[in-house]
Amino acid sequence: MNLLEIRELSVEFPAGEGSVKAVSRVSFDIREGETFGIIGESGSGKSVVGLALLRLLPANARVSGNICFAGKELFFLKPSELRKIRGKRISLMPQNPAGALNPALKNGLQIGEVFERRGIEKKEGMKKALGLMKKLFLQDPEKLCGLYPNQLSGGMRQRLIAAMSLSFEPELLIADEPTKGLDPEARAGAVELFTKIKNEYGKTMLLITHDLDLAHEVCDRIAVMYAGEIVELDEASKILHSPGHPYTKGLIRAHPRNGLVPLSGQSPSRIKLPEGCFFHERCRHAAVECSRRHPEIQNHKGGRIRCHLQFLQ
Amino acid sequence: MRYFLKRFGFMALTVFAVCALTFFLMNAIPGGTAELILKHTFVGLEESATEEQLNQISSRYNLDDPLYIQFFRWVKAAVTGEGIGTSYVFRKPVLYLLALRLPATIQLAGASMAIAVLAGVSLGIYSALRENRISDHILRVATLFGVSMPCFWVALLLILVFSLKLKLVPVAGYGSLENLFLPAAALSLHSMAAVMRVTRTSMLETLGQEYIRFAKAKGLPLRKIISRHALKNAMLPVVTVIGFQMGNLLGGTIVIEKIFAWPGIGSLLVDSISARDLPVVQGCVLAIVSMFLLVNFLVDMLYTHLDPRIRYG
Ligand SMILES: Nc1ncnc2c1ncn2[C@@H]1O[C@H](COP(=O)(O)OP(=O)(O)OP(=O)(O)O)[C@@H](O)[C@H]1O
Ligand code: SF4
Ligand SMILES: [Mg+2]
Repeated sequence: MNLLEIRELSVEFPAGEGSVKAVSRVSFDIREGETFGIIGESGSGKSVVGLALLRLLPANARVSGNICFAGKELFFLKPSELRKIRGKRISLMPQNPAGALNPALKNGLQIGEVFERRGIEKKEGMKKALGLMKKLFLQDPEKLCGLYPNQLSGGMRQRLIAAMSLSFEPELLIADEPTKGLDPEARAGAVELFTKIKNEYGKTMLLITHDLDLAHEVCDRIAVMYAGEIVELDEASKILHSPGHPYTKGLIRAHPRNGLVPLSGQSPSRIKLPEGCFFHERCRHAAVECSRRHPEIQNHKGGRIRCHLQFLQ
Repeated sequence: MRYFLKRFGFMALTVFAVCALTFFLMNAIPGGTAELILKHTFVGLEESATEEQLNQISSRYNLDDPLYIQFFRWVKAAVTGEGIGTSYVFRKPVLYLLALRLPATIQLAGASMAIAVLAGVSLGIYSALRENRISDHILRVATLFGVSMPCFWVALLLILVFSLKLKLVPVAGYGSLENLFLPAAALSLHSMAAVMRVTRTSMLETLGQEYIRFAKAKGLPLRKIISRHALKNAMLPVVTVIGFQMGNLLGGTIVIEKIFAWPGIGSLLVDSISARDLPVVQGCVLAIVSMFLLVNFLVDMLYTHLDPRIRYG
């Protein structure tokens, strides 16, 4: 059963004369209970996909496509219906925990407000939140509630946000770069945290990350994004151990454990995307065809891949 | 505690410096003080004051002493609580005159500030929420007029329209609410526009923050997001501007009180300057500066209250 179906999702931001093509015709499904990963280098459009799912993109974003969650078309929902889904059925753990907490409000208020107007008594909600915080390895939660966010460490803030996001045991949890900017110890903690969330709650998760180790640890399937497109989508183990797409191969090789061979070159301008394959300027296998015709994504050995090479051979 | 000591020390220093400046500047205006006092005392004596009479006056008020001694004597009397001099014109203690006039100024400045803050903040928020729509554009053009029109000009326009043409309120006078309407409106317009402008900018900036997006992701209704998450943070720069505007406004009372025959410190100051009634000028300046410093102190306290990251101690 698919919990979420994304079809031909495109997002553009107007920029001067033209527009930044942040996400181009992205389609994928997330099955119930699975952890789906999105990997790709910075700027590839991962966060924008995550935000689009909850309709949290800035007002100037031009969005097209369909997103179907549990049989509901998200883009057609009224604001009041949307609010019922946000935070309750779909939760988002944003990319930057430091920025996601309001510096002027105490932690207790910020976690407590999740329960507001949701048919839950304030006291009961607070109790639930405190229990959740304890479960997520936060010590002394009562004291934490009386503090302001800037009095917490990065790892603690992230757990606090995790606790907020899990308050209603959402059907879908979107976690954006949960290990970014954490020191090794906190990072190990975060990996532990997500393993725990996955095992204990058994919830469906969309994990957006740079961190191949984290992806390896918790993801069932992975989509690889490049310049706003999905270039490969497959079982996590296949993506990480025997990638098919030249970009994925490069990404894996750039990982410290595999010799830290960085991909040369830069990703293309998103205002004026190149003709042909978006990756052809950096691709070691690029053929003449690659700079002329844009490859479509196609089924290949049980996964999906966007490359001429696989089919030209 | 150390912060407060420093702060009060600084305030005392400011008051001292301003008083000294006023004192020496007033004495630098050509024309003997004794001569002026004489003219006020005996009407009709203008051109024929005798040497003897002048000497008599000079010694009564110690006007022959060097200026710094005169100033020192004044400071000493002020600090020991003896008073801050006696008016040459009214033959009354300056403190008595100030106490008589202070309520009117506080009433006018207070009403103007209240209008400026209430209207400025609410229009600023409204404008921010309707960013780039027609109503936002209209308001922004209006603020441009507001900040660029000097307050005496606004005052004259208001008198022309509301008193002379529409005959809704009296031209000038003091005592009833009707009388307060025009001077308060004229005085507040500039500050209102300034407050509105920063409120709009700051609100827009705050609404773009990540914690606002996260608050949306939590499923909070827009009204809650604005009142709880945006307002407090957006008010920080507004509070600073209100502090600045308070100085502006107190300066404005001088002209406005004169135009509307408002019996406050401002009109007293203007009258005593033209009468060369030095002790009263000195007293008025002292009162205005003290009010300004006091308000700024209160604004800073409010600031700390709003932003938990700032702690004076
Ligand atoms: N509000 C916006 N206005 C204009 N362009 C934007 C906006 N948000 C994102 N973009 C652009 O969209 C593209 C995708 O951004 P996105 O944040 O999704 O990248 P990402 O894959 O999450 O990268 P990172 O790993 O750095 O988080 C980038 O090129 C970015 O410049
Ligand atoms: S389509 Fe061509 S350029 Fe693009 S990834 Fe495949 S081989 Fe490389
Ligand atoms: Mg991102």
